[in-house]
Amino acid sequence: MNKKNRSVLVVGAGIAGIQASLDLADLGLQVHLIEESASIGGRMPQLDKTFPTNDCSMCILAPKMSECARHPNIKIHIKTKLSAISGNPGDFLVKVIEEAKYVDPVKCVACGICESKCPVKTDDEFDMGLRKRGAISRYFLQSIPSEYTIDKTKCLYLTKGVCRICEKVCPAKAINYEDKDKEIELNVGAVILATGIDAFDPIGFGHFGYKSFKNVVTSLEFERMLSASGPLGGHVVRASDKKEPQKLAFIQCVGSRDESIDHNYCSAACCMFAIKEAIIAQEHMKGLQTAIFNMDIRAYGKDFDKYYEKAKNQYGVKFIKSKVSGITETEAGSLILKYVFENGEIHYSEFDMVVLSIGLQPRANIADLADKLEIKLNEYGFCRSDAFAPLQTTRDGIYVCGAVNGPRDIPESVTTASGAVAEAVKFLKLERQDMTPKEDAVPEKDVWGERPRIGAFVCHCGINIAGVVDVKSVAESARSLPNVEHAEDLMYACSQDCMNTIKERIKEHNLNRIIVAACTPRTHEPLFRETISEAGLNPYLFEMANIRDQCSWAHMNEPELATLKAKDLVTMGVAKARELTPLKRLPIEINPRALIIGGGLAGMTSAQSLAAAGYECYLLEKEDELGGNMRNIYFNFDKDPQKYLAELVADISGNELIHIYKNAKIDAVEGFVGNYKTTIAVKNNDKQEILEHGIIIVATGAEEHKTTEYLYGESSRIITQVEFEQMLHDQDFPKPKVKNVVMIQCVGSREEGKMYCSRVCCTKAVKNALNLKKKHPNVNIYVAYRDVRTYGFREKYYTELRDQGAMFVHYEPENKPQVKLIDDFDPDSKVNVTMFDPIMNREVVVEADLLILATAIDARKENIDLAKMLKISLNTDGMFLEAHVKLRPVDFATEGVFVAGLAHNPKDMDESITQAKAAASRGLTYLSKKSILAEGTITEVNEDRCTGCGYCEEICAYNAIAVDPEKEIAVINEALCKGCGACVASCRCSALNLRGFTNEQLFSVFDALELTN
Amino acid sequence: MDKFSKKGIELNSESGIQEAIRRFFQDAEKIFDAVMLPMRVPAKDSYAWIMIKDREYLKDATPIAPIMPVNGAKALKRFTRKGEARLKVAALMRPCEIRAAVELTKLNQINLDDVILCSYDCPGALPMQDYISEPEAGEAKFQYLLDNDIWNSAEVKPVCRICDKFSLPASDLHFAIEQGKVIIIANSEKGAEILKDMNLPGAYLLENWDRSIQQIKQKRLAAKEQNFAETKNKIEGFEKLLETFSVCIGCHNCQSACPICYCRQCYFDSVTAKPNADVVMMKMEQRGGLTLPMDRIMFHTGRMAHMSLSCVSCGLCSDACPVDIPVAEIFSYVGSQTQQAFEYCAGESLGDALPMKEYKSDELSELKAILSDATAQEVADE
Repeated sequence: MNKKNRSVLVVGAGIAGIQASLDLADLGLQVHLIEESASIGGRMPQLDKTFPTNDCSMCILAPKMSECARHPNIKIHIKTKLSAISGNPGDFLVKVIEEAKYVDPVKCVACGICESKCPVKTDDEFDMGLRKRGAISRYFLQSIPSEYTIDKTKCLYLTKGVCRICEKVCPAKAINYEDKDKEIELNVGAVILATGIDAFDPIGFGHFGYKSFKNVVTSLEFERMLSASGPLGGHVVRASDKKEPQKLAFIQCVGSRDESIDHNYCSAACCMFAIKEAIIAQEHMKGLQTAIFNMDIRAYGKDFDKYYEKAKNQYGVKFIKSKVSGITETEAGSLILKYVFENGEIHYSEFDMVVLSIGLQPRANIADLADKLEIKLNEYGFCRSDAFAPLQTTRDGIYVCGAVNGPRDIPESVTTASGAVAEAVKFLKLERQDMTPKEDAVPEKDVWGERPRIGAFVCHCGINIAGVVDVKSVAESARSLPNVEHAEDLMYACSQDCMNTIKERIKEHNLNRIIVAACTPRTHEPLFRETISEAGLNPYLFEMANIRDQCSWAHMNEPELATLKAKDLVTMGVAKARELTPLKRLPIEINPRALIIGGGLAGMTSAQSLAAAGYECYLLEKEDELGGNMRNIYFNFDKDPQKYLAELVADISGNELIHIYKNAKIDAVEGFVGNYKTTIAVKNNDKQEILEHGIIIVATGAEEHKTTEYLYGESSRIITQVEFEQMLHDQDFPKPKVKNVVMIQCVGSREEGKMYCSRVCCTKAVKNALNLKKKHPNVNIYVAYRDVRTYGFREKYYTELRDQGAMFVHYEPENKPQVKLIDDFDPDSKVNVTMFDPIMNREVVVEADLLILATAIDARKENIDLAKMLKISLNTDGMFLEAHVKLRPVDFATEGVFVAGLAHNPKDMDESITQAKAAASRGLTYLSKKSILAEGTITEVNEDRCTGCGYCEEICAYNAIAVDPEKEIAVINEALCKGCGACVASCRCSALNLRGFTNEQLFSVFDALELTN
Repeated sequence: MDKFSKKGIELNSESGIQEAIRRFFQDAEKIFDAVMLPMRVPAKDSYAWIMIKDREYLKDATPIAPIMPVNGAKALKRFTRKGEARLKVAALMRPCEIRAAVELTKLNQINLDDVILCSYDCPGALPMQDYISEPEAGEAKFQYLLDNDIWNSAEVKPVCRICDKFSLPASDLHFAIEQGKVIIIANSEKGAEILKDMNLPGAYLLENWDRSIQQIKQKRLAAKEQNFAETKNKIEGFEKLLETFSVCIGCHNCQSACPICYCRQCYFDSVTAKPNADVVMMKMEQRGGLTLPMDRIMFHTGRMAHMSLSCVSCGLCSDACPVDIPVAEIFSYVGSQTQQAFEYCAGESLGDALPMKEYKSDELSELKAILSDATAQEVADE
């Protein structure tokens, strides 16, 4: 195919859409990111904390949002919908409608005066109606873009022709009532759908009393209540009497796992969501008791079970396995829950507040969108995709990510987003990008040795700062500071004309250091750095004082003190600016080849994706056959894994861009991102080979747990699920007549020391049981389980198996099924399995013809050596540890190394494929560049002071430091250093200094602070 | 007590404790290539570390010296930090010196590969000033302690009086002292190998010794608690801190004497720490006046921040202080607090990772608890 197009359309700007856009943009492609609401961000900004790390949701998302806004290759279109598409993959013509915003985004400075004067008060969608907003509003405080928009359905002028107050009060003259919807045509090579999901609306669930009982809320509403930036400021009180609840109940599966409403699927994220909310609520309110009413707790993701155990043991969250059948309200507003245990016993308990863990469902307009795109939906109304092509829709060139094709949590959404990018690039023209500064850039002025001539600019930020702080007097005080040659106040320092002003002042006063006192460097520092470099100054000669977030916003009610503080902050900033020196960013060459370690499903898929994008790779497999664990999988419901595997092997084996090394083993890895040299040895071949490559994908898989539990190995009738699947596949099964089959779940999983869920075993048991039932409908199947974790659409098969009469018997780890051979001397002895049946409330003994153990997925022992070689980390279970469990699920902290498949955590085949594609596309963001630029703010070593103690080496998260054994001093790898400063803080000898944050610079800041007081 | 130290071997102690230890090293001539231990200097007014190959010199050595002019770990550092040692050296040191050696090993300043660390039950060391002014009196005093089995003497340095880690540090061999008898204990696998090779006769049960060590420890712990309370009272709060260090003459002797201050150049001696004239003038104008030089408190608190996590309370800083600031007691007190916060004990074991090299997921909640305790304390104080 002739790939010509370099543009992509991403529909939906939640975390998945954002990640997909960033990856595409980093590949040098032009992205059009369209979003229906007035800001990018999606669901994540509404969340308070995220499981299992309890990271603040906004804190981890905001950097990605601003990166998205800043990226020169991304064009964000808010309030925009897709209206039509025509053409073919590689050459689509898309029409989108950009709704009228009635506010000129160029003029609007987001000062907020308009909303404060708007007479309309309507429910705020972002805060789930818990707060009111105006007809002119911004979606949330950190919205990107930050401009206000008018809701035409609520605006008095637009609906009734009266008012026009906002137009009068707007200082920027940004209101335009004449604004019209615009149709835009885009020519793109591929489309990525990231439209997300809706939350289930429990209004129809009368028996839970939502909206009729004041103290019954949804989990999303509760999240806003918990949020420190939410309508209650994080102080949870009951709506009825504004009192703190003492007892809180969560009801799981509201709108999930419910055939009565056609939601016969599990919403995948709500169990963890509820556990998180329970933990956070307990942290907020001392003495709060929480209970989670559930059928199963599905904590199947990475490190989720540890979080679940923590909730149980450390926080005392009660988990009650039962079904809530109804709620009644007391006069005091409390709620009495009626709930039924499996054995039919009915109980009642009183709670002060009830949280409904609402499920996830397809977007209300998804059918309409599917019609326009001519793609098909599945039986639940989500986008249809295939187990072995999990990111593809039914139309070539259109891909899905996030929860469009099924409910998923955040890290999986991020993974699918990167994965979808790998799919999309098949139809796009990739060119290797040159990241070195362009030749036409303004030449940099040499300021070494010059006396500091500082320019200080103080920003009003509309009323954001000036509403509290006396900006003019702050500028006045800045002018009096030593070395300040020029100081002035600016209405909006970040506006185009103000940036021009800054550039002019640099020339006019021959300034060589600039400080801007405004908002936060996190969003605006890059912008200002660019501005001063356009005026010929090194970008690192810039300093920022945050007088908004840390001053005017924090001290709204004390304007005089806030002004004093702003002056202090500026004085400190000037002191630092005085000491600033120009810094350089070194270019690092990138070798365009990849090394993939592991030739299983994940490794082969990554190789395939890289090759499809036109990049070469070396694929290493330690065995003499490709396929890994997939070679033992024969069934996957309606798909044939062996057929897919054979096709995949054939496809990559014939590809000249993929160099396959079987029987290969790694002897040594040297180098860093862009410049790796790996020495490999191939069995029966004496010569070592050295491979040169730019990135590494770790796809080493995992292994089946070897158990000795439940008398495994003592009778031929006690087998593992993997062996059982093999048996089902062999035609001659079953040889002995089989009447009773017992399956025991969680063998070697979810136990002390191995506190993780192996994720696939529940589904595997259900799959194998259904296959058995198909062949032998009269076989009795008993499944001893702890929680049935058939998440997502896998739920259907669980229901099916139950309907076919399989018995599910719950057990707790302290009360495991007991196994006894009927004849100790018979190697083919049948087995008596004793289980406590909570339904019948007594022990049952089953004479099993087959006992099938769902053995865990264990991390490979070799991971330890490989981790050392690649300087990457493992978690406590020996699985590879990604850079960030939420937002960087396939990257390692060590740049240029990525993970995919079982090496990361137990997962199903579709998930391995997705992650493998994601790893490929994350890798491509490096491979597609001729060189990258290292950070300017990096650590330097004072060799006279360093004693080579190695403290810093162990602390560095990026493996950027090594002690030179000869010289016995620390050496910084400038390509890897990220400038986090952890090493500097740890150095007892003060031998390390972070450029741009040197000890000298920081001490001068302290001195300055002292001098102001 | 661990598995290596349930039984010991009694050495011939007829001619006294010092001689018993000397004789052991004499007998072990084939095992160690060299021995490092203290020897009285010819002028008879101090001690120095010597490393000897020729065992003739042993007779002039004093295994348990009454004073500690230089921390043994510092001596050890001199010949193990760089390059490869060819010879196996037995180093006989006080437990606090062993702990300093362990700490410096973790900081890559000492290499213990070819070193056999030997320790003994330490009665404490005399304050340097006391000894130097009257060496013979000091000798007599110390001999009296050893001869009469005195373990809680008021004559030894203040930090020694409150030292509860005076026995069985992380050494390879340990000389236990029980009522004038010397018993050698293998305290590591390396040590066990050595004793096996030496094939010494007679096993000695250590129950009584252990009991008496525990009793001494209890007394010292009680003294420590009291001393810490006094120290806390003396230095807590900026005013008191200032008062305590007001006599400091800025000689930085404490830092030179400290075994843990391993930096090549102290930050406080560097150019960076010397402020520019304009800053000094501005500060002077701002405050109305300045004491000069101005980094006195900064130096001590800075040193505290840098090394208190590794402080082994050897007390050399106090010995080195010409103006009698109780530096050792202050650092010992602060060190015990900071080490406690990390559940760390400096020099106790090679296996314990240095604080900050290790991340424990409950750290944050602990910190929160400490902070909320502190806030509660503040509220209570008010």
